[in-house]
Amino acid sequence: MNRWFAVSACGEVPHGQVAQSQLLGQELVLWRSAAGALNAWENRCPHRGVRLTLGACVGEELRCQYHAWRFASGSGQCTHIPSHPHQKPAGTIRPQVFPVFEDGTFAWVNLTREAVSPQRPAAGIDTALRSIFARAPVAAVRQVLLRGYADQSVGLVDEFTLDATEYALRFMLQPVTEGQTIIHARLQGEVTAAKRMTVLRHHNVLMSAVRDHAEAAA
Amino acid sequence: MITLYDYELSGNCYKVRLALNILKVPFTARPMDFHPAREHKSDWFLKLNPLGQLPVIDDDGLVLREAQAILVYLASRYDSSGHWYPRHDAAALGRISQWLGFAQELTATAGAARLHDTLFLDVDIGKCRAGAHTLLRILDEHLWFAEQAGEKWLCGADRPSIADLACFPYVMLSEEGGISRLPYPAIRRWGDRVKRLPGFIPMPGIFPAAAA
Repeated sequence: MNRWFAVSACGEVPHGQVAQSQLLGQELVLWRSAAGALNAWENRCPHRGVRLTLGACVGEELRCQYHAWRFASGSGQCTHIPSHPHQKPAGTIRPQVFPVFEDGTFAWVNLTREAVSPQRPAAGIDTALRSIFARAPVAAVRQVLLRGYADQSVGLVDEFTLDATEYALRFMLQPVTEGQTIIHARLQGEVTAAKRMTVLRHHNVLMSAVRDHAEAAA
Repeated sequence: MITLYDYELSGNCYKVRLALNILKVPFTARPMDFHPAREHKSDWFLKLNPLGQLPVIDDDGLVLREAQAILVYLASRYDSSGHWYPRHDAAALGRISQWLGFAQELTATAGAARLHDTLFLDVDIGKCRAGAHTLLRILDEHLWFAEQAGEKWLCGADRPSIADLACFPYVMLSEEGGISRLPYPAIRRWGDRVKRLPGFIPMPGIFPAAAA
């Protein structure tokens, strides 16, 4: 499916961090190199199939926990096999690498390998809310959101904007598996430092209620 | 010299080993045949701990059971820095104790689910997993807002406490009980911070992280 999905707030995968994700059933390892490059790969070592999320970021490489094979940020190319330290690993040894795109606030992944990054304007001053995991399909989450988020009507489709109080609010639904969805949301525009925690907590309560309703309906 | 009655695969024994290593306290481990011999239910061990549970420590005649109690003792007795269990900060002690209780709940849910899947413990597995997810959801939310406030640990900004050590093992072992942590990204980041503490040691199923 040639479509971009938000998978994480950028700040939630800091430099050197490995994170686990899943999109349309595809397990992903999301990781950011020491220099700051974000990667989204199939969560499976091409050597023995172990989850790469068990591994660790070492500079510009991801190291598998099982046999310490290393894979380069960007290409995914295997760079080092400890049992054959003097051999250059074959060019075919790499996990499946998926296109990633960061818009300044959220990281997006496309499962189509040749997808081209959208030229969306950087939205650097947006505020990422806490993403909420729901054991409910996207359709159920969408239905609850459409029924009313904080008793306000909202627009259609998986990415939509809502004028909640003083900030425009935008939802991005990540289909994890058929029955699981992560609800991402951003406030468009800057929230003052004094209000920030109150606003974040407020939406966390509302979005948790959306989750609870969607899970009850699912 | 402390003797730790120990089982390598126990998360509760591991948290004591972890604390001893971090605090640089020398100890001797007395390995127990938990499975299949059930040495923790043997006559000689029941005299040491009538509850028949691990871990137990013996520090020159002071015999203590319950992992959380042992952490309280070790930090109070051996931590010269005072941040692992700040004895003179009432609010901090209240918060830490709250998470020590939470750690017990983790043992009873995530820990029990793991024993069900690995050592055939007879429990209601659905109930254990659901209970664990309820706890992990609470923990993830707490840690996410802590991060937003610039705090790295369960109870406080800069320095970890025994609350972090108490909760860490059965959270990190949850997948051995069929409890995915994919929904809890803030827990992953906190777990990596614990793994980067000076003196950190792994256990089977808990892997080291690279230096940040």
